[in-house]
Amino acid sequence: MATVTQSTKFGNFMWPVVAWGVALIFFFPIFWLVFTSFKTDQDAVNPEFLWRFTPTLENYTNMTDNYDYWKFATNSVITSVFATLFALVVGVPAAYAMAFNPSRHTKDILMWMLSTKMLPAAAVLYPMTFLTKNMLGIYDTHFLVIVVLCLVNLPIVIWMLFTYFKEIPKEIIEAGKMDGVSTWGEIKDILIPLAWGGIASTALLTFIFCWNEAYWTVRLTTFNASTLSTLIEGNRAPEGLFFGRLSAVSTAAIAPIVILGWFCQKQLVAGLTFGAVK
Amino acid sequence: MSKRTLPRILQTPAVLLLLVWMLVPLSMTLYFSFIRYVLNSSIRPEWTTPSLSNWRGFGNYGYVLKAKDFLFAIQNSVLIVGSILIITVVLGLAIAVLINRKFPGRGIVRVLLISPFFVMPAVNAVLWINMILDPVLGLQGIAVGGLNNLIDGLRDFPVLGVFFNLWPTFEPISFRATQTSAYAVIMMVAWQWTPFAVLIFMTSLQSEDESQKEAATLDGASSWSKFINLTVPHLARPIAIVIMIQSIFHLSLYAEIEIVSRGNGNKNLPYLIGEFANNNIGAASATGIFAVILANIIAIFLLRMVGKSLMD
Repeated sequence: MATVTQSTKFGNFMWPVVAWGVALIFFFPIFWLVFTSFKTDQDAVNPEFLWRFTPTLENYTNMTDNYDYWKFATNSVITSVFATLFALVVGVPAAYAMAFNPSRHTKDILMWMLSTKMLPAAAVLYPMTFLTKNMLGIYDTHFLVIVVLCLVNLPIVIWMLFTYFKEIPKEIIEAGKMDGVSTWGEIKDILIPLAWGGIASTALLTFIFCWNEAYWTVRLTTFNASTLSTLIEGNRAPEGLFFGRLSAVSTAAIAPIVILGWFCQKQLVAGLTFGAVK
Repeated sequence: MSKRTLPRILQTPAVLLLLVWMLVPLSMTLYFSFIRYVLNSSIRPEWTTPSLSNWRGFGNYGYVLKAKDFLFAIQNSVLIVGSILIITVVLGLAIAVLINRKFPGRGIVRVLLISPFFVMPAVNAVLWINMILDPVLGLQGIAVGGLNNLIDGLRDFPVLGVFFNLWPTFEPISFRATQTSAYAVIMMVAWQWTPFAVLIFMTSLQSEDESQKEAATLDGASSWSKFINLTVPHLARPIAIVIMIQSIFHLSLYAEIEIVSRGNGNKNLPYLIGEFANNNIGAASATGIFAVILANIIAIFLLRMVGKSLMD
């Protein structure tokens, strides 16, 4: 018995140390990115200044000249916000109908929606370029990016909303029906207030996915509607001399989302596992 | 209006939008895959406009199957997705168990651990391939250089120096070569998605039946046997879900491959399609159809495995 107690005591001490160590290792690349962003481009590649250097803000103050950051950031905000909004406008009524008036096809429809997520985007890239460039003339517009981001995320949005709505007792909605409330009234006055938390976390998660999307946003734009993903991808070449400024613009690109993510990590689980993990 | 009609109307926009989104481009891909269609050709300018008169039947499919890159791209897709799945599930389980108890600063540990998941893929790839893995300027190069200097210094040490003389000088690894760049992609994506697995496993661990475990402890079960016989079965569903969701995202992995592997011969299926699409749209479309078939096989398998439990 003595050994057991001893090892438990040792474990109690070591456990947090190991946990903290693992967490710091995982966070280290992000820390390093932010850390490097305060070095000049020369210092950033000089091993002599690996840890000790004179911090500077020049990479941030010059960001507008170096990268045209604000243009891309504005595009990211516009497209992500509107794509999220449209996805909710289309998704809330659909999820409402599926959760409260399911038919025998509802399960199949939901599964089919999820399966559209598995369609490899690359398989339809050329047709999409052809359609939007040669036929519709909407290539490289905010409108196109918004529509595509909305469609790409719609299955996840509907799934998430569906799982949240399912938790609401049907009787509450039924009671509204008895009182002669219209369907729109039901959604607006009963469903949305009750499911507000679920809708908000769906919106947050969709916003994060839109912001980080790097396939369609890069390939269906050239300049006007390009988002931050395009800006960063444009710097893929080994630009050793520009580590400082590259770190600064990368930090600026991920900071809003990483911070937003910290606040919604709890909702993330329910959202991403469609409520199957509790 | 009947009781049934309104719900149908409400879900119609979503269903229609997704149907159009899926069917229109896909049927175009199917059409292009059966015709000769290139973007530039000075010898056969008639092939530069899609037309039924350039019908090629299954010719594009035969061409793609014979292309030496096709098999390589499929193998690489499987290697990359498979490795990422194994690494994230194993590491995710270990870390979830590790932090599934109270200790000082647990909230901060959680925040630090989940952060990589929110980093945009483009930044992830640029950060890893340049600032961390670069053999000269990145941390890898600096660390290897430092290690070599250290060993060099120790060689002059009396007595022990003989031992260090036997050590070879370390060579930094270039992660921009064909095969190593696949490892770089696996590394960076696993870094990003392990937190996701941790988060889900941890949530699930919190709902584990503690009394069962206590009973097992009284019966003299070891920690390991408790983990294998009680915890792992409890986590079966979350593991299946983590595998399904990651497969959805990683089968279409592109930005990381594009940034890390551009021009060095490494590719997965989506990247091969992109390469063909630079000129030979017919071949790109046929490859696309192969990718869709592959994705469907995996989708059916995964949805069978997980789908039922999602609907409970």
